[in-house]
Amino acid sequence: MRRAVQILSFCFLLYLILQTAFPLELRIPVDLYLRLDPFIATITTLAQKEIIPKMLPAFGVLLLVAIFGNFFCGWFCPMGAAIDFFDRIFFREKRRTKDFNDLSLRRLRYGIFIFSLAAGLMTFQVMYLLDPISLVIRTLVITFFPPAVLIFNHLLPWIQTILPQGPFAGSSIPLPLFKVNLLIFIFFILILALGMVRKRFWCRYLCPLGTLFSIFSRLRIFRRSVKEACTQCQKCVRGCPVGAIPKETPQHHRQQDCISCFKCLDCPPGATTFKFIPPSWKTVNGVDLSRRYVLGSLGFGFVSALVIKANPLQTESGLKNNRLIRPPGALPENQFVSVCTGCGKCLKVCPNNALQSTLLEAGLSGLYTPRLVPRIGYCEEFCNFCGRVCPTEAIRPLSIEEKHLTQIGVAHINKTRCIAWDMDKICLVCNEQCSYHAIVGDDKKRPMVKEDKCTGCGICENKCPVDGESAITVYSFGAQKKLKPEPEPSSNKKS
Amino acid sequence: MDHSNKKKITRRQFIKGAASAVALPLLGNRLPFYGSLAHAAEEVDLVIAKTGSPAQLLQGAMTPLGGMGRFVKQGQRVVIKANIAWARTPEQACTNNPALLSALIKMCYDAGAKRVAVWDHTCDNYQFTFSRSGLKEAAQKAGADIFSGHGQNSYKKVDVPRGKKLKTAEVLRDVLGGDVFINFPIPKHHFATELSLGMKNLIGVVWDMEQLHKIDLHQCIADINTVRKPNLVVVDAIRILTTNGPKGPGKTEDIGEVIASTDIVAVDAYCAAYFKHSKTGKPFKPEEVRFVKNAFDLGLGQIDLSKVRVKRVSAA
Repeated sequence: MRRAVQILSFCFLLYLILQTAFPLELRIPVDLYLRLDPFIATITTLAQKEIIPKMLPAFGVLLLVAIFGNFFCGWFCPMGAAIDFFDRIFFREKRRTKDFNDLSLRRLRYGIFIFSLAAGLMTFQVMYLLDPISLVIRTLVITFFPPAVLIFNHLLPWIQTILPQGPFAGSSIPLPLFKVNLLIFIFFILILALGMVRKRFWCRYLCPLGTLFSIFSRLRIFRRSVKEACTQCQKCVRGCPVGAIPKETPQHHRQQDCISCFKCLDCPPGATTFKFIPPSWKTVNGVDLSRRYVLGSLGFGFVSALVIKANPLQTESGLKNNRLIRPPGALPENQFVSVCTGCGKCLKVCPNNALQSTLLEAGLSGLYTPRLVPRIGYCEEFCNFCGRVCPTEAIRPLSIEEKHLTQIGVAHINKTRCIAWDMDKICLVCNEQCSYHAIVGDDKKRPMVKEDKCTGCGICENKCPVDGESAITVYSFGAQKKLKPEPEPSSNKKS
Repeated sequence: MDHSNKKKITRRQFIKGAASAVALPLLGNRLPFYGSLAHAAEEVDLVIAKTGSPAQLLQGAMTPLGGMGRFVKQGQRVVIKANIAWARTPEQACTNNPALLSALIKMCYDAGAKRVAVWDHTCDNYQFTFSRSGLKEAAQKAGADIFSGHGQNSYKKVDVPRGKKLKTAEVLRDVLGGDVFINFPIPKHHFATELSLGMKNLIGVVWDMEQLHKIDLHQCIADINTVRKPNLVVVDAIRILTTNGPKGPGKTEDIGEVIASTDIVAVDAYCAAYFKHSKTGKPFKPEEVRFVKNAFDLGLGQIDLSKVRVKRVSAA
């Protein structure tokens, strides 16, 4: 039953991801899982020093966990579902030959959690690396979605004979191109591969979201209870996916680690039940968070944040990266990297595949953040999807009118490459495609950019017919500027 | 409507035209491009319909040509190349009039078409253009399929043997293979080519549109029109875009005409006169639009409107 719920939850996440596209008219917010993620909510609140209303449901989930215990990890978490699935398929036969004391490993995830809090306070967020929901979504979007589209497009001729004459039956889905896909794929596989060492290795020893849930479910009132009929057969000890039941005293268990998977209900003498009992603070064989350890983690977090912050955005030449163009509505750069979870939703929703993930282009603190790459895709004129799907409002939602007045960069013409300037040809593709009347042609039909109208959308750079590096390039210059609105140019003449 | 800027047909011209309309079929057709149509006893090559609803205008424009039945036979596949290139609303006149497209599709089905497909390789994102222009809804309500050319697998590489500068191109398969091919442009101002008329509309059947600018835009427009000549051109001149074209938004003008023709050069020659030349302030002469001149030089049609059998009708 639990497995069914896990599969359903994962499929629901897949559905939401697939619906993160034009026309974006779903009643349920497509970033639902991210909005319900209390780890993201906590770190974002710490980093921004203010609570975003969008993320309030996450705290509601935390409250539920405090009462009912940690049901998320076992039933709804997509990472947990993936791990369980792969553990079952690949690592089923693995049996540890000898037990080992995993106390220090278990302490690790608390250390990681405290580290995240400290770093978050210093606005160096590690959500992009450690939050499982963001990780799963990013992997699905960047690594798995393009191959799925590729397969679909290849199967299209066969599907066309089966599917009714739909509106786009004749054409293929545009194949999205995502950079950094290999690294993201490897990272995901590594986490799954850790199942070789121990079942749910990630969950037990690394996951900060699980840690947060654990801390809050310490005082859960809905938990496992074992009667005297227990025969110490150790079945529950072996079966527990997170090792929450100690070998010595299987009647007890670590309630904070318990993920409510109900596997231990499969008890031969029938001694185990789950029911509402008063909370207990004491636990057995719990992690001993010494003061030294806590302070050490905190300190490590602070120091790491400082080290990252002291290494500003630079290429090896020491120049600012003026090709780092952020989506319209993005917060100023420092704030932006401190709240962007790298979930990949904006990458998926962008109808022109304009947004790409970053590796080091935004510095170490800006890993996996979105940037506009005009040669791959430009920012569509009547689209404001990215801001609408961002769970932490790193990209603020803008209305279409606001977006039209937001300058994310300015286009510059390279006159030695432009075929109109250099070779006297009639081209003017940039001027033709510009949505904002920001490119004008002179009397010889050579283009010129009007800086106060250009929004930096990149359509000119995208459509420029010059091979390789475009003859007109969009450069960013720092904060996104607000342009002055112009009176409506169009008018109708009746003749 | 102000006629002073339009080409006036004097009584002398009309008598000459009518006389040649009778005489020409007897003498046979000299232009080789018309060879396949010379057998019909139609008396007109170009019909201009004025006043009426879009459906009425279309009916008025098609009847003197012999109705849609002349072009569409029972069970044929009709491919319409419309202008859905930009994410603009219908009032902005950057894309076709949805009511007119609807009427055109219905007329094809009435003539016995098996399936009508509307195509365009859009410039803006196709999802936005299809929905904002209202053309996806209009086409589907009228029972046609509507396709976007965003996937390269929809194209087939062909040679352009008659092309002067364009030697090879990837053209929409459906356009190459469809039984009936109808060009459905909307006349607009254009920054680069001065005007975007019927022949320019055919750029949207090519995969690599931007590359045509690199070769020689005006010549490539003419060249691409040699690949497959449309069986019929229906010009949507109900409202045209007179400034800031082809994307707009810009000033629009309600001309209120629908033109139907089999001659792609003549129809562009006529529509050129809707617009005023920026330098002279007078309506464009067809030779002043370079791609029209290039197309005439390639023998694609008649640029001199006095040599074309023109008929004006009132469609109300």
